[in-house]
Amino acid sequence: MKKAFLIFLTVILVSSAFVGCKSSTSSSDNEDNQTASSKELNIYMWQQYISDDLISKFEKDNNVKINLSYMSDNADAITKLTAGGGQEYDLIMTCDAYMESLVKGGYVEKLNFDNIPNASNINESYWTAKEYCVPYLMNYIYVVYNKDTSPIEIKSYNDLINPALKGQIATIDGARNLFPIALVALGYDPNSTNENEIAEAYEWLVKYNENVVAYGNAEQNLTNGTASVAFTYDGNASWAMAELGDKNNLVIADFDKDPVQLGFDLYVIPKGAKHVDLAEKFLNYITNPEVMAQNLIEYPYSCPNDAAVEVASDTYKNDPARNFDYKQNVFFQKDVGEAMTIYNDYYQKLKVGE
Amino acid sequence: MSNSKLRKKNNLSNLIGMIYSLAIYTVLYIPVLVMMIFSFNNQRYNYYWNGFTTQWYAKLFTNSTVIGSLWYSVIIAVLATLISVTIGTIGALGLRKYEFKGRKAINNMLYIPIIVPEIVMAVALLIVFMKVGFALGMGSILIGHCTFCIPYAVVTIKGRISGDDYSLEEASMDLGASRIQTFINVTLPSIFPGVMSAAFLSFTLSIDDVVMSNMLSGAKNSTLPVLILSMNKSGVTPDINALTTIMILIIVIAMILNNKINNALKKRRKVEGIL
Repeated sequence: MKKAFLIFLTVILVSSAFVGCKSSTSSSDNEDNQTASSKELNIYMWQQYISDDLISKFEKDNNVKINLSYMSDNADAITKLTAGGGQEYDLIMTCDAYMESLVKGGYVEKLNFDNIPNASNINESYWTAKEYCVPYLMNYIYVVYNKDTSPIEIKSYNDLINPALKGQIATIDGARNLFPIALVALGYDPNSTNENEIAEAYEWLVKYNENVVAYGNAEQNLTNGTASVAFTYDGNASWAMAELGDKNNLVIADFDKDPVQLGFDLYVIPKGAKHVDLAEKFLNYITNPEVMAQNLIEYPYSCPNDAAVEVASDTYKNDPARNFDYKQNVFFQKDVGEAMTIYNDYYQKLKVGE
Repeated sequence: MSNSKLRKKNNLSNLIGMIYSLAIYTVLYIPVLVMMIFSFNNQRYNYYWNGFTTQWYAKLFTNSTVIGSLWYSVIIAVLATLISVTIGTIGALGLRKYEFKGRKAINNMLYIPIIVPEIVMAVALLIVFMKVGFALGMGSILIGHCTFCIPYAVVTIKGRISGDDYSLEEASMDLGASRIQTFINVTLPSIFPGVMSAAFLSFTLSIDDVVMSNMLSGAKNSTLPVLILSMNKSGVTPDINALTTIMILIIVIAMILNNKINNALKKRRKVEGIL
């Protein structure tokens, strides 16, 4: 009897603790909504991807506090968002490949573009799911190589499986970055959902794997000579070229037929965000051409904001890492739905062997 | 003759032992050494050696994000240790000493948080927290860390409790000590080494946890390991190397001090014993 009472008491205690939490957070929600403008903005994004000076300028101009927290992986951020953690943040960075599922699942808020007039500077051709996101920076994933040390000249993806390149390639990782180039090399749709085609791509990647010396840290491996070829983002190539300075002997592979992958990082407002007004104000700030041009000095990635590129510094405009002529010959990562499990199976097979 | 043969054999086995331990220590400490050397590298992304500098140590103390997240990690680790050692001690004593219904089930269930992949626990906790409206932050990380620290603490402390302790406890209570007095003066000192190792274990588990902290951290702060992991995309900067170098130095100094103190205590005990 006594025991039963004790258990009952514990249950009441524990549940009341939770109830307490709930009511207290929801009451603060109301306060936030009632006040005309929020004083705090929580952003979840990549580390080393936005200029600190611009953040502190926004804080000072608007008398607000920005809390930046950093993700280690796009997939982690998506897990956190879909498990309901989105309401902790006001802006989350994700990439175009996830947008379709996020919109379908109802995880993101529609944006009010009346509050973001500067968004009109962004090139429409780069913009999917336009009502829900604002593109930030973008990445071409291409091939660069050291013209002095690379055994061969590279003109297509198929050159990457040339046995002459054994142990020469530094490459980015990830199923949805590696399989598309194999599919393109074989003449298929880079977002194929056909199992036979993916299996063929796997065979191609096995050969590619034999030429790979390191996954990740492409710019590091290029500059210190570990690798002579890299399959990487243009921003990382830019860093490597800048690091080598006058001694730069890296050239962008002169592809004549194969398209390259273009992906962009974008901001979304998660469902349940508490400071939507400030989030939209921030989006308008960061799409301002002058502000973005400033940001590009520190983070010289490709930028979908045409007006910002126009006013960007000469160093940015003349960056050798963006000096290639097949910028329009691109493909995007698309949602492959159920086929993702096929990709994952073959990717694991690729990573751990049969 | 047989004596010299034996000596030769001994020498050989000594040599093999030397080489063996040298190989193991090389594998263990060369990466640490490289990491320490690169904290003096005069280059932002640590691509290659570019000259000696101490600027990263200066920068470290002005970089509020890194220091802030270090403190955040330390506070969480200390609190997680205190909570899990307290619960762990009570749990271990209860599970070891008392017979009750479901004891076996509870004993077995202890291993579930140890065996279940951490990411599964982390996502499950995240979903629960979000469903009940528990805000993410220090509280959520702390609860997350306790879920895996407590089982380790219970298991470690339980191993220290031996049968002898019961008779000592009975003797103490026979002599008129209350239950609390008995606990403080008899039970606790006898299991204290177990409590200490549980504390060290919990602290270590908590301070270098990534998976749980990554999922359960809120928007305002993150722990040091999560911050370092997030630098992975663009390369870890040498100020992190500087920080780890300092942490390793602190640990080495603490270990030397610990040894010195223990030796001094032993000597004193011996002297007291003779007297």
